[in-house]
Amino acid sequence: MRVHVTVNGRVFERDVEEHKTLLRFLREDLGFTGTKEGCGAGECGACTIFLDGKTVNSCMVLAVEADGSAIETIEGEAKDGRLSVIQEAFDRHHAVQCGFCTGGMVMSVRELLQRTPKPSVDQIKEGIEGNFCRCTGYQQIIEAVLDASGQKELADKGGLKHA
Amino acid sequence: MLQRFQYAAPATRDELLGLLAERKGRARLLAGGTDLLVNIRNGAMKPELVINVKKVQGYSGITWSRSEGLVMRPATTINDVLRDKNVRDLFPLLSECAHDLASYQIRNRATVIGNVVNASPCSDMAPALLCLGAKAVIASKRGEREVPFAEFFKGVKKTVVQDDEILERIVVPAASSGARGLYRKLKRINGHDLGIVGVALMKKDGLLRLGISSSAPTPILVDGLKERDDIETIVAAARGAISPIGDVRCSKEYREYMVEVFVKRLFAEVK
Ligand SMILES: Cc1cc2nc3c(=O)[nH]c(=O)nc-3n(C[C@H](O)[C@H](O)[C@H](O)COP(=O)(O)OP(=O)(O)OC[C@H]3O[C@@H](n4cnc5c(N)ncnc54)[C@H](O)[C@@H]3O)c2cc1C
Ligand code: FES
Ligand code: FES
Repeated sequence: MRVHVTVNGRVFERDVEEHKTLLRFLREDLGFTGTKEGCGAGECGACTIFLDGKTVNSCMVLAVEADGSAIETIEGEAKDGRLSVIQEAFDRHHAVQCGFCTGGMVMSVRELLQRTPKPSVDQIKEGIEGNFCRCTGYQQIIEAVLDASGQKELADKGGLKHA
Repeated sequence: MLQRFQYAAPATRDELLGLLAERKGRARLLAGGTDLLVNIRNGAMKPELVINVKKVQGYSGITWSRSEGLVMRPATTINDVLRDKNVRDLFPLLSECAHDLASYQIRNRATVIGNVVNASPCSDMAPALLCLGAKAVIASKRGEREVPFAEFFKGVKKTVVQDDEILERIVVPAASSGARGLYRKLKRINGHDLGIVGVALMKKDGLLRLGISSSAPTPILVDGLKERDDIETIVAAARGAISPIGDVRCSKEYREYMVEVFVKRLFAEVK
C-alpha cells in the first residue's frame, strides 16, 4: 500500500507491506534508526514516538495505519544542531548509559513536560512507567527531568550530584 | 516480523459490516492493536484480513447525556476516558480502572472496547463496567443487539461477540451516574504488568457491587449486596463468587487472601 507520512517535518511517500510495523518502516525504509526495537510487544518503550501529537509504541502500530500522519522521532529533538533542554539535562545528569532506551525515554519525557510542566517525582515515575532502562537505575533520569523542568534544587537533593 | 495479512480501513459502518460478513472468521478488527498485534506477532492469531475500525465515521469520542447515558465507541481510547470531564465527575470508577491500565503510551492507543472484547480475566475496564451496569451494543449486517456486561463474558478470552459482529457502543446508564467507587489492583510494577488481583467496589443508592478481575476465568460481578451489609457478608459473597487459579504470578490462596484484603480496604475507603 502507498503510504504518506511526515517525519520531523519532512514528507515521505513509500510503498509498504500491510504487515510491517511503523517501527520497522521508520528504521528500515526511512532510516530513522534512533527509534529502537527492544521487545516488539509494548513492554519496553524503546520504540516510543509521537504519532499525531501523542506518544505511542511504534512496534504496535502498523505503518499503513500511519498513512497521512505527522510523526516525530528522537532525530527531530535537537534543532539546528543544538540539543534540546531535555537532551542537555540528560547529558548533565548522566541519564544516558548505553543509550538504547534514550530515544523512547526522551519522547515520553517531552510528552510528560507538555502535559505537566513541573512534574513531581511521582508524576515523573508515572510518565516514564512505559519505558524500561536497564542501565541507569532511573535515578539519573528522574533528576534530569527535574532539572529540565526548572527544578534543579530538587534534582540536586537526589544525592547523585552529577551536574 | 508479523505474518502477512491484508488490510482495510473502511470509512463507513456499512462497508465495515459488509467486510465482516464476507470474511466471517477470517478477519480481525484492529482498534488500538495493543492486544491484536501482539497476538499476531506470537502466532496466536492468523487473520487473513485486518480491518482498522478507527477511520469509520462516528466511531470515536465519548458522549454523555441524561437520555443516552455515557457512550464509548470503537476508537475511544483509555486516555480519552481519563481526559473526559463527565467521566471524572459522574463515573469516577471508570477513571480509577482506566488509570491502572498499562503505561501512558499504551493508554494513548488501547481502546475500552478492545479491552473488553479481548476478555482477559485480568481486564482492568471490566470491573468498572460490571459495577456500573453497562451494556454492550453489538452490530452486524443481521442487525443490532444489546447485552449487559453481566452476561457478556463467556470464558477465558471468550465473549458473546460473534465473528461477523462488532461491539459498536458501550453504554453506561445515566442511572449509574454519581456512583462512588474505587479500584485496587495488585501488580508487581506499574506500566508493564497485568493485574495479579483487581477489585472494584461501588456504592450507590444503598446498593453495593463488586467487580473482580484476575480471580476467575472471566472478570466477575458480585451483585445483590447493600451498603449497610456488614463486612463479613460482603467478604463471604466475594469469596463465594471467585474461583482463582494458581499460576506463575502467584498462588490461588494468595489471590483469595488479597481479594479479601482489598474488599475490606475498599469497603472502608469508599464513603
Ligand atoms: C505491555 C502491555 C501492558 C498491558 N497492560 C494491561 C493492563 O494493565 N490491563 C489491561 O486490562 N490490559 C492490558 N494490556 C492489554 C491491552 O492493552 C488492553 O486490553 C487494551 O485495552 C486492548 O485494546 P486495543 O484497542 O489495543 O485492542 P486491539 O488489540 O485492537 O483488539 C483486541 C481484540 O478485540 C477485537 N476488537 C477490537 N475492537 C473491536 C470491536 N469494536 N468489536 C469487536 N471486536 C473488537 C480485536 O479483533 C482483537 O481481537 C496490556 C498490553 C500490553 C501490550
Ligand atoms: S519495542 Fe515497542 S515497546 Fe518494546
Ligand atoms: S541507558 Fe541503557 S537502557 Fe537506559
